Amino acid sequence: MRGYSRQQPELDALRGETMSAQDDHCEKPDSVVQYLDPRAQSRRDFLQHTGTAVVASAALGSVSMQASQAAPLEVAASALTRLNLTVNGRAQQLLVDPRWTLVEVLRDQLDLTGTKIGCNRSECGACTVLMNGKPVYACSQLAVWADGMEVQTVEGLAQNGRLSPLQQAFVDNNGPQCGFCTSGQLMSATALLRNNPSPDAAQVRMALVGNLCRCSNYMAIVEAVVATGANA
Amino acid sequence: MSEAFEPVTPLQTIGHATARVDAIERVNGSAKYSRDIKLPGMLYARVLRSPHPHARILSIDASAASALPGVRAVITHENAQIVWGSGSISGGRQYSDPSKDATLHRRYIFNNPARHVGDSIAAVAAVDRHTAEHALSLIKVAYEQLPFVLEPEAALADAAPKVWPEGNVCPDFRNNLEPMVSNAGDIDAGFAAADEVFEGRYDTAFIHNAQMEPRCALAHWEGDKLTLYTPSQGISNCRHDTARDLGLEDHQVRIVCNYMGGGFGNKNQNQDTDLIAATLSKRANAPVMLEMSRREDWLGVHGRWPTVQYYKIGVKQDGTLTAMQMRAYSGMGPYRKNSGGLSGMEAYACEHRARTIFPVYTNRTTSGNFRGPSEPHGFFGIESMMDDVAFRIGMDPVQFTLKNMLRPTDAQPFTNYSLEDCILRGTELFDWSTRRQAIPGSDPGAIKRGAGFAFMMFRAGVGSSSAIVRVDSKGHYTLFVGVTDIGPGAKTTMGMIAAEALGVPLAQVDVVAGDTDRCPYSVGESGSRTTIMTGYAVVEAAKDLKQQIAAQGMPTGNAVLIASATPQPTTDGKSRQCFGAHFVEVEVDTQLGTTRISKYVAVHESGRIINPQTTRDQIRGAIIQGIGQALYEDLHYDPASGQPLTPGYYRARHLTHADIPPIEVDFIEVDDGYGPFGAKTAGEAGIIMAPAAVANAIFNATGKRMTSLPITRNKILEAHA
Repeated sequence: MRGYSRQQPELDALRGETMSAQDDHCEKPDSVVQYLDPRAQSRRDFLQHTGTAVVASAALGSVSMQASQAAPLEVAASALTRLNLTVNGRAQQLLVDPRWTLVEVLRDQLDLTGTKIGCNRSECGACTVLMNGKPVYACSQLAVWADGMEVQTVEGLAQNGRLSPLQQAFVDNNGPQCGFCTSGQLMSATALLRNNPSPDAAQVRMALVGNLCRCSNYMAIVEAVVATGANA
Repeated sequence: MSEAFEPVTPLQTIGHATARVDAIERVNGSAKYSRDIKLPGMLYARVLRSPHPHARILSIDASAASALPGVRAVITHENAQIVWGSGSISGGRQYSDPSKDATLHRRYIFNNPARHVGDSIAAVAAVDRHTAEHALSLIKVAYEQLPFVLEPEAALADAAPKVWPEGNVCPDFRNNLEPMVSNAGDIDAGFAAADEVFEGRYDTAFIHNAQMEPRCALAHWEGDKLTLYTPSQGISNCRHDTARDLGLEDHQVRIVCNYMGGGFGNKNQNQDTDLIAATLSKRANAPVMLEMSRREDWLGVHGRWPTVQYYKIGVKQDGTLTAMQMRAYSGMGPYRKNSGGLSGMEAYACEHRARTIFPVYTNRTTSGNFRGPSEPHGFFGIESMMDDVAFRIGMDPVQFTLKNMLRPTDAQPFTNYSLEDCILRGTELFDWSTRRQAIPGSDPGAIKRGAGFAFMMFRAGVGSSSAIVRVDSKGHYTLFVGVTDIGPGAKTTMGMIAAEALGVPLAQVDVVAGDTDRCPYSVGESGSRTTIMTGYAVVEAAKDLKQQIAAQGMPTGNAVLIASATPQPTTDGKSRQCFGAHFVEVEVDTQLGTTRISKYVAVHESGRIINPQTTRDQIRGAIIQGIGQALYEDLHYDPASGQPLTPGYYRARHLTHADIPPIEVDFIEVDDGYGPFGAKTAGEAGIIMAPAAVANAIFNATGKRMTSLPITRNKILEAHA
């Protein structure tokens, strides 16, 4: 009944241990709390202890673990790493801090703010983008992992100023209420429609199950995606 | 039954399903939400929060944080003592300046002692968010941990730890630590007249508003003028609150919010983030963007107050109510941000009634308004209780309701009354008599099917708001309204009302909203008031403009004609309500404990519907939120440590696409002659009945009365153990 969340305990475990604690600013009171709430580990802790070192050495080779641990926060220019990726069809060469997530780079470096940060820990799907055609949570991808990849965001859906049929269906069917989850819903649905041009409602619901909508406009969103397929 | 109103048919613009005026911006990524705005030289800010449920700060050393390269400002309770007036209000009167001024238990932007896990301790502004995060970890705080209390009833025990020195009953607006009492008639006489008396206890959980957009604030000073780009569902109130808290005049503060990622009641005032960002920006002499994480938003903003409700009901053998008594406790967290009230009893006609509600301090996170602030949990309690009473005296709950629900009287007329119409229409659309089990729990087998029902009325009163409308020599109209579109479609609704009132197509009307420097006062997107109140001001401004055009002709050249209106409408002493009835069919797996909703019919009378598309989706979305409240959502605390265990979507178990049942929405449309073209409340109405209707359906299916929200698998399994 609970779909996605209930059916993927392994993903649950992964979230709890690694991805989930970003931006957790509550001070850690004691180890009991850490036990009670795996999210009490911060992104900084996680990346400092594992991610940064691993990723930095993978990307640059020459950066020592000692250096990244000793001064992990004041990132010297030399600690920036080169990132090549294609975003919405345009090749981009960027220097990025290894700690930056893909959604940070999209929003802060490329000013593609259509991709939203709802939870920053793989819960809500507001940050969904397509990486080599597959929907991913951009909050839980380090930007360097996207090296060499093609990324598509909501800004890349319209062609020559014309909305995609899916976007138009969202306009016609009141797909957005507050609109904050909309770009994520659109990206997951775009991926679905590429694989299944005329999905039924049940298929749409399963494909979009990782995209929460607190306005709970789920019915209108599904109606919009189904209408897109029916009109294709 | 109904009074003779003309049948409502679509007008020129109103009544037609209409795409939002900003729909394209919402689907192509160009809509700028507060966190999407960047200013040159902007700093990023983070807040340090208490790890303890109750702790005195003995010392705080921010020297290492201040010394970190890239850090521009660090503030704590020692160097930034700013009262957050709307964060704690005696009496919970959110729009009352005198109450905020007189508040006994003041809340500051940083509090010592810290009174819940997540209470704000300090904040940092730095060149980027990672540096700001690191600086937080360098702030050394020495805490003395204090005893804490989590449950409202336990908090009233003599030996309970005191959240505030005076005690744990939240003060009323006179600063007396008294409960909210509302009595009528003679309760003892009512019970004496009863053939039978029934009692029940119901409790409901804390539900976070959980809007998709985490709260943030971008503050920017130009001289002594502050601009805040901040998610706000009430820019005028946010401006006034911020100015008051910072010692400024209203005109020195500008609130901008063009798009907002949902609110559901948690931001019609200013938030502490607004004050913290403004203070950091002043100290650092640069724009400051303060961002909250999802966990911070969960613990640092607010959600629906958890409650415990005791009812005692006297009834005649024929089902006539003789007495209604309620005693309830609302857990407000350590600050009284809003009332803590519980509604529902007033929907019944009963001469003898007594109601006492204790708003109680605890060391949980703060409670406050959430879509129908006092309603869904109150209606869950009273309508579960009444469903139980009906069952015990052998009546169909629909018949029991028709016998006892509040109806217009000579003493209290209504502008119109269609509750009975809603209920009867619902019974037909749902096929109530067939789907309901005559004997609850009689469905054979492990998976039991049954049907439940709930009804409501909810205020749709008129009130004052403002609008300005302008026309240029090209015949183009611009409407200025201080609304923000937090999701329901206020900009579009205002545009449609203006187009109708002006007699022009919607495409000829631009809507300027979401900016206090450009727009007049508006009531804010709370209490389902925008359509009724600001919409009515739009109608009046449009009338004025049409009169000017008739008198002077259209403007020429660079001239414009402008009309403004701040009407003070009344309902001539009549009660104005919207009405609704919900019918739910569930399938309860008594071995797995799961509840599946197999049919849901919602009938609403919300006056004339301005935009059928967005209104339908308001109701559907509200119902889904209400189902979440009924079956899943909760913020658990560890009783030993006082730590919140489930802050976040995944752990609070919010509904996903996979959980959505089929929902049929039907409107009975009436134009009662009040409000803009007869429009009434809609946005909050949909959530009010869902928890009660689902719970009553579970009773009808299983024969087990579920008295505690959320009705989780565990609770159903325990009931069947």
